[in-house]
Amino acid sequence: MLALVRKQLRNHPALIPLFIFIGGGATMSMVYLARLGLRNPDVCWDRKNNPEPWNKMGPTDQYKFYTVNMDYSKLKKEGPDF
Amino acid sequence: MAHPSQLGFQDAASPVMEELLHFHDHALMIVFLISTLVLYIIVAMVTTKLTNKNILDSQEIEIIWTILPAIILILIALPSLRILYLMDEVNNPHLTVKAIGHQWYWSYEYTDYEELGFDSYMVPTQDLTPGQFRLLETDNRMVVPVESPVRVLVSAEDVLHSWAVPALGVKMDAVPGRLNQTAFLASRPGVFYGQCSEICGANHSFMPIVVEAVPLKHFEDWSSRMLEDA
Repeated sequence: MLALVRKQLRNHPALIPLFIFIGGGATMSMVYLARLGLRNPDVCWDRKNNPEPWNKMGPTDQYKFYTVNMDYSKLKKEGPDF
Repeated sequence: MAHPSQLGFQDAASPVMEELLHFHDHALMIVFLISTLVLYIIVAMVTTKLTNKNILDSQEIEIIWTILPAIILILIALPSLRILYLMDEVNNPHLTVKAIGHQWYWSYEYTDYEELGFDSYMVPTQDLTPGQFRLLETDNRMVVPVESPVRVLVSAEDVLHSWAVPALGVKMDAVPGRLNQTAFLASRPGVFYGQCSEICGANHSFMPIVVEAVPLKHFEDWSSRMLEDA
């Protein structure tokens, strides 16, 4: 299947950028989804050992993908400890 | 506030709204450029005397019109994602206000230090004084100190509403049983108008929102006065 695609690509090299961009876009979406599934504290995978991970967030944790203006290492905890 | 035959956004009164304005200008310029190019190509295709009866193909132009749109999309996506994350940032608010939607008025609660709460009904058209805006004025305004980050907790008592102030770049749905948080910073003093943005019954169009940004001293005087009157 891949050999057939490679043979056809040699006659139509204009399709190579298409593969790059579409492949890159699909890869980035899947990686972001995987990151959300595995690293987002709102997601619970293991009900026995880690039932409510959203209760374990510290004030300096950055769980968002990108911060523009905030420096999370400077934040302090506001509420009481449980 | 909005004025008749207005085409663009209202003047920004918060840093987030400024960013949204600039991004909108950037994306709209790209859209205008692409539309002009396409319109030109259509006119050129339609008015030409050249004909070719063979099938045409060309690898070079295909490469160009794959890579160029991809680059344009990336140039739109990167600022867009930046603003998206910027809007979500927690900004250490100096003040928290609760905006609760009812049918058909808003009520505001300032409970950081004292228990101040009041309702905000629209001024009916026949009761307007000269200079006031029809369907936008309220009897009590939500007053906030200027240049202070404010957190707004939005909820509803009965049906869905939505608390929106375009000049501040803020819109948050008021869902009964749920507390939604949004934040803004009024960068200049002034009066900023908004309207309920989720259909909520007969008087959905008649429950406006008015935010008044004043210097801190005036805000303290206002809240003392409101507490006495209550």
